[in-house]
Amino acid sequence: MEAQLKNDLVNVFKSKLSSQMLLNLDTCSRCGLCTEACHAYASIPLVKYAPAYRAEVVRRIYKRSFTAQGKFAPVMGEAKEITDAALMELKEAAFSCTGCRRCMVYCPFGIDTQQIMSIAKLLLVAAQAEPETLSMLADMSVSKGENIDAFKEGFLSGIKRLEDQMIQTWRDEAGEDPIPTDVVGADLLYVALAGAHSIIPSARIFNAAGEKWSLSFFEAVNFGAFVGDPTKTKLILDRIVNEAKRLRVKEVCICECGTAVRVAKQLKGAPFKVVSLTEVHARYIRQGRIRLKKLPGSYTYHDPCQIARNGGVYDEPRYILSHLVNDFREMSPDPKYNWCCGGGGGLVAMGDETLDFRMQSAKVKADQVRGSGADVVVTACENCHTQLSDLNKHYGLGKEVRFLSSLVADALLPEPQEARG
Amino acid sequence: MATLYYLILVPMVYLAVAVFVLGTIWRIGRLLAAPSAPPPPPIYPLRKPAWLFAVGDALLLPTVLRHNFRLWLALALFHLGLLALLLGHLELIAEFKILQVVPHGIFLGHGFVGLAVILCLIYFLCRRMVSPTKELSVPEDYLLLVLFLFTALFGAQMDWARTWYDYSSMGVDEYRAYLSSLIALKPNIEGVTSAGHSFMLVGHIFFANLLIMAFPFTKLMHAIFTFAMNKFRRG
Ligand code: SF4
Ligand code: SF4
Repeated sequence: MEAQLKNDLVNVFKSKLSSQMLLNLDTCSRCGLCTEACHAYASIPLVKYAPAYRAEVVRRIYKRSFTAQGKFAPVMGEAKEITDAALMELKEAAFSCTGCRRCMVYCPFGIDTQQIMSIAKLLLVAAQAEPETLSMLADMSVSKGENIDAFKEGFLSGIKRLEDQMIQTWRDEAGEDPIPTDVVGADLLYVALAGAHSIIPSARIFNAAGEKWSLSFFEAVNFGAFVGDPTKTKLILDRIVNEAKRLRVKEVCICECGTAVRVAKQLKGAPFKVVSLTEVHARYIRQGRIRLKKLPGSYTYHDPCQIARNGGVYDEPRYILSHLVNDFREMSPDPKYNWCCGGGGGLVAMGDETLDFRMQSAKVKADQVRGSGADVVVTACENCHTQLSDLNKHYGLGKEVRFLSSLVADALLPEPQEARG
Repeated sequence: MATLYYLILVPMVYLAVAVFVLGTIWRIGRLLAAPSAPPPPPIYPLRKPAWLFAVGDALLLPTVLRHNFRLWLALALFHLGLLALLLGHLELIAEFKILQVVPHGIFLGHGFVGLAVILCLIYFLCRRMVSPTKELSVPEDYLLLVLFLFTALFGAQMDWARTWYDYSSMGVDEYRAYLSSLIALKPNIEGVTSAGHSFMLVGHIFFANLLIMAFPFTKLMHAIFTFAMNKFRRG
């Protein structure tokens, strides 16, 4: 590696050294308690998948460049220079971690391996060694934000097609404007994913609840966060923030995408509230704005890590399911300890490139799903849904994998007119 | 030999204390001076008041208790033992009425606390020799355990040696005279260098000095950082 690049990478590393990051890097006692917490290690017991080992890959570089011990007695902490080989190790560590933060629940100090992995990802971006697929997807999202007019026409004609589908299926409920866009003064801006499955059921529920809503021009998923590039993460998020401000909405509702929910909820000082779709649906039921019929069969719920453990949305999905089904079976006795599906952190977005690893590293998840004994696995995250569907096929689990929102849409009863505003 | 004893018992002690204090201040200062980034989300569900739960997490190690009882037991014994030994050492400087609320002989624990600490340290060392902790460990981890072990071995054995072998020529009064002379910056090592088992005190202090100097530059800082870390996790 050239001296200039090495120097640049050390400076990039330095830019991540906030007080909290220093604590994450300086506190680990290498007790190994977190080892069992990681689904990757629990499924493939190789030490390179232990959270503390992943963190050590970053920590060794940190020690060499930023600590007295690493400078004067590098052998003590196995401190290392940044080299091409170190970059390869960083890549393996960072892109086999889904950022689920289950290890953080085990650690006596609460060391955040995901945060430490964000350094690894940033170094890879700076060395142009990040996964190309993610980088390309992030660039596309950014450029869409920069040239919205070029995309608008195609987007609106896509929406028109979806509206036709809605009118065919729910002639009575679709209303005059089944999928409103660009509504200045709307109460709620819904940020969906590209694809009918993320728009049609939600539109049906918003309309049934009498919501004054508008569909965002942008998709929720933040590839910048997956690839670990804070600049792109912000640019992608800013597109939504600017649209919400322009439309003067009170609430931005993020679709079933864990990372998008997490990134948006971290916004500070925005003139609107950020909520997940699941929270909005629970609210509609609580306020009597939608009514649901019970669905047959047995159901279990997979808590998406970014929405539950890292976002606090535990009760709402269970509240919704209590109105949807009679036979609900918890997947994990304590949802905080639910196994990650193994698809987060950009792994699912990388598609077939990661399929083999995703299937192997999530064996414990497959066992957990099988152990639930339910016929239907419900979740509220696109990544989790894809990964659970892949696991279902790979391990022959014989389950049906459903989005929570699509179940709600299927179970909608004609709305109580008096509850509409 | 007398010069070596002097160097370990006087200048090295002052050096160790200076390195410890300045090093710890530097480490904390570095943290405070670092830019603050928007904090990542805490781990949900939240419990209030967060700071109280964070202190509980730092002192009682509930996550270790939940996932590895044997390790928790060893950690609890080790840390409580250390605390008792620290208090015991305070009583070697002077009499503290508050420490005699429960009347006890000096030195606290009659060597059994030291023994418990030693057994825990042996357990920690053995644990580090087994996968996966073995692969996670770095030389620093072993070095610190060995320093602790030697410090504790020389310290605990010194107390026993005094009682078993009747080395009555060096006891609490001599320790007090030595330690208070250090504090008064008028070092006097006479009483602690003439006994038959003085070499054990010198060994104990030598390893303790190394440990104290290592504190700010190693993972031992977790003793301080754990509170802030756990607060971040609790939100
Ligand atoms: S549990 Fe925490 S302190 Fe222990 S090895 Fe893992 S990250 Fe380090
Ligand atoms: S964040 Fe999740 S995937 Fe990453 S190391 Fe921790 S437990 Fe493993």
